[in-house]
Amino acid sequence: MILPAFSKTYEGRTVLDFPGMEVQPGNIYAVIGANGSGKSTFAKILAGSLKADHRIKPMEGIGYMPQKNYAFRMSLKKNLLLNGSDEKRADELIEALQLSSLAQKRADRLSGGETARMALARLMMKRYELVLLDEPTAAMDMETTLLSEELIVGYVRETGCALILVTHSLQQARRIADAVWYFHKGQLLEHGAKETVLDRPERAETRQFLNFYGI
Amino acid sequence: MQSAVAKAIELILSGNAELMNILSVTAKMSLQSSVIALLLGLPIGIWLGSCRFPGRNVLLIANRTLMGMPPVVCGLVFYMLFSGVGPFRHMKLLFSVEIMVMAQIVLITPIVVGNMETYVSGVAPAVRETARGLGLGGFKTFLLLCNECVYPIISAYLLAFARSIAEVGAVSMVGGAIAWKTNVMTTAIMQHTNRGNFTLGVALGIILLTVSLLVNIVISVLQRRLSR
Repeated sequence: MILPAFSKTYEGRTVLDFPGMEVQPGNIYAVIGANGSGKSTFAKILAGSLKADHRIKPMEGIGYMPQKNYAFRMSLKKNLLLNGSDEKRADELIEALQLSSLAQKRADRLSGGETARMALARLMMKRYELVLLDEPTAAMDMETTLLSEELIVGYVRETGCALILVTHSLQQARRIADAVWYFHKGQLLEHGAKETVLDRPERAETRQFLNFYGI
Repeated sequence: MQSAVAKAIELILSGNAELMNILSVTAKMSLQSSVIALLLGLPIGIWLGSCRFPGRNVLLIANRTLMGMPPVVCGLVFYMLFSGVGPFRHMKLLFSVEIMVMAQIVLITPIVVGNMETYVSGVAPAVRETARGLGLGGFKTFLLLCNECVYPIISAYLLAFARSIAEVGAVSMVGGAIAWKTNVMTTAIMQHTNRGNFTLGVALGIILLTVSLLVNIVISVLQRRLSR
C-alpha cells in the first residue's frame, strides 16, 4: 500500500512534510517523535480528519482511532456494534480487554482508560487495509497496555492489515513494531527496521531523541 | 392578597369557562408554535453547529440578534404586514390565533437554533472524527449526532415552550387579546388586572408559574443527566 506525499502548513509555517511511503500488509509501523513533531497531524491527514495543503486522493479501507476517544451515549457493547453486527466478535473483544463487567454500562460514563479500551475494541470489530492508532494506550495502566498490545498484534496477524501506531513510548515501539518512523520538526527524518532505528540510528537528531528518552 | 389567592384557587378548581377557554387558546398557541419552531430550528441548529462554511458567522450573529429581538418589534412587523394597509391584508389573519403562532415562531425558532448550535458545535468534531475513523457513512454519522443531542433537543424545546407561554408583547399586538378568541394567559392577566378583576389574573398567574416551575424542573433534571 502506497501512502501519498502531503504537507501541512499553518500560518505560513510547515508543520508536516511527508514524502510518501510504502507500507506492507501484516506489519506494524511505530511513529515516534517529540511533541509537535507532526505525528498526530500525519495520522489525522491520512485518516481524512484534517485537510492537507493539497488535496490528496481519499484512501479506502482505513480505520482510525484518534487520540481523544469519543464514547457514544449508549452501552459499551452497543458502541462496538456500531461498527459491525457480529455479536460474538464483540463479546470476544470485550472479554479480551477485560471489559465484560462493563459491557452494559453507558460508555460515556467510563473512565479514560476504559474508554480507550472500548475504542480499540470498537475499531477492531471490522477489517481494514490500513489501521491508524494515535496513542491508543496513553490513558492505560501497564497491565491493560500489555493486553491491548497483545490484541493489536493479534489483529494485525489475523487480518493482514498494515498498522501505523503513533506512540510516545519507545518501549512500546520496541515491543510490538516491525519498523519505526522517526518524525522531527514535521519531517520523516529516519525510518527502517526497529532494531536499526532504535539501536543504530544514522541521524544525530534521532540519537539525541533516543538518548533523551533513555534508550 | 390572601383572599385573592384563595379566590383564585377556588376559581381554578371550579373549572370556570372563561379560564378554561384562555388555557385552551394558550395551549393551542404555545404547543403549535413550539413544535413548529423545533422542527425548523433543529436542522438549522445542527447544520450551523456541525458545518463550517463561508458566511456561517454572519448567520450566527443574525440568529443571536433574533434571539434578543424585543417581542413588540416582532408584533409590530407582523401587524404592519397583515393589517389593512399591509401586503398580506387579503389573508385576513390579524387578530387570529394563527398569526399569534406565526409571530411566536419567529420569536422562538432562534432560541432552538442557538441552543442546538452551541451544543452541537461542542460535540460534532469528536463525533465526526470518530465516525469517520470507523468508516461510518454520512447518514449514520448524522443519526449518531442526533442521538448525542437527545437531552439538548428536549431542553431546547422546553425553553422554546416556556418563552412562548410567557410572551405577551407580540401576541397582544397581533392577537388583540379578544376574549373567547385570542386571549391567552399573559394578555388575560394584563386585561383583567387593568379592570380590577384580580381573581382571574391571580389564578392565571398561579397556573403560569406552575407551568414554568415544571418546565424548569424537567430542564434541570435533563441538565444533570447530561453532565453525568
